[in-house]
Amino acid sequence: MELDVVKEKWAEHDRKLDLSIRLNRQILMAANRRRLRSPVLRFAFFVGLGGLLGLTGCVILGQFIYRHWAEPRFALAAVVLDVWVIATVAAAVRQMAMAMAVDYGQPITAIQKQLESLRLLRIRIIQWALLTGQVVWWIPFLIVALKGFWGADAYQVFGETFLLANLAVGLAMIPLAIWAVRRFAGQLAGYNLNQAADFLATVSDFENE
Amino acid sequence: MTTPDRQAAFQHLLEEHKKILYKVCNSYCQDRDLRDDLAQEITVQLWRSFARFDGRCRFSTWMYRIALNVAISFYRRESVRTRHVVSGETRFLEVGGEPARQPEDLRILYEFIDGLDPLNKALILLYLDENSYQEIAAVLGITETNVATKISRLKNKMKQELA
Repeated sequence: MELDVVKEKWAEHDRKLDLSIRLNRQILMAANRRRLRSPVLRFAFFVGLGGLLGLTGCVILGQFIYRHWAEPRFALAAVVLDVWVIATVAAAVRQMAMAMAVDYGQPITAIQKQLESLRLLRIRIIQWALLTGQVVWWIPFLIVALKGFWGADAYQVFGETFLLANLAVGLAMIPLAIWAVRRFAGQLAGYNLNQAADFLATVSDFENE
Repeated sequence: MTTPDRQAAFQHLLEEHKKILYKVCNSYCQDRDLRDDLAQEITVQLWRSFARFDGRCRFSTWMYRIALNVAISFYRRESVRTRHVVSGETRFLEVGGEPARQPEDLRILYEFIDGLDPLNKALILLYLDENSYQEIAAVLGITETNVATKISRLKNKMKQELA
């Protein structure tokens, strides 16, 4: 079968299609009203929602830091948590800006690369959030939550040795976590990261061949 | 332009170019229910982007870009393969006589297209639709020389596979 021969049949089929295709106008109007159906917009919405929650967390933590500024053992734990939350909010804003900037009316190779880069960024942010989160959301969170919600002093409840030992282990995990992210990034994110990177390479090859 | 005017202009252009919608959906999605879903997703994106259409390129070129970009993303989303879709009685994209009236060689052609990667699917579709190399290059974002090379490769591949 030759492509140019089939092309003639395709043109014939094309002429018939003019008469046989009908667009359902009611569904068309309803579909246009459902603006969130666009996956990129839906993604931006949920990332934005996460960012908004993060901002709320920043305000609550900011108040806590202000109230306990004279007590570094509480304030410091809240600062660590706040830095983590601010970093995730910044990441959410960046992702949202990238998602909103996608213009589907641009050439395919450019848009597919943009979408895949967004996907890669999202995967990497999740990796980093999980790896650093395991340190931040244990001892610092325990100290802040006990003090903030119940007025309890975690240092007295659990003993300073217990908290400091846990914190030291947590801190020692950070360089290990950084090394693990660099060394096993692909495997940690699994199929999605590899698939995204592969497709990005495919698009580049398609563009440059 | 007021919103009702814009809607009317959009509907008129969509009606004029509905074949693009049909062919892109048919090439990227074999399942009839999902195909209708894809057609709606493309239409939503076309409507959302319509305000940005400045007429610097032909409407068909712009529509191809959006339709193919959405279709490629749709095709690549893993969830699509396992998503459960409830069949509806009414469809957005109705085609009279499908698939009974589709000639055998067109069915084979669609099978061949189905076996291609998403970018080459776009390329062959644009070629079959009588777009010039310049237009194909503008839609895909590659050079005309690159288009010519790839089409030549596809011709050979087709000859070998469907010999």
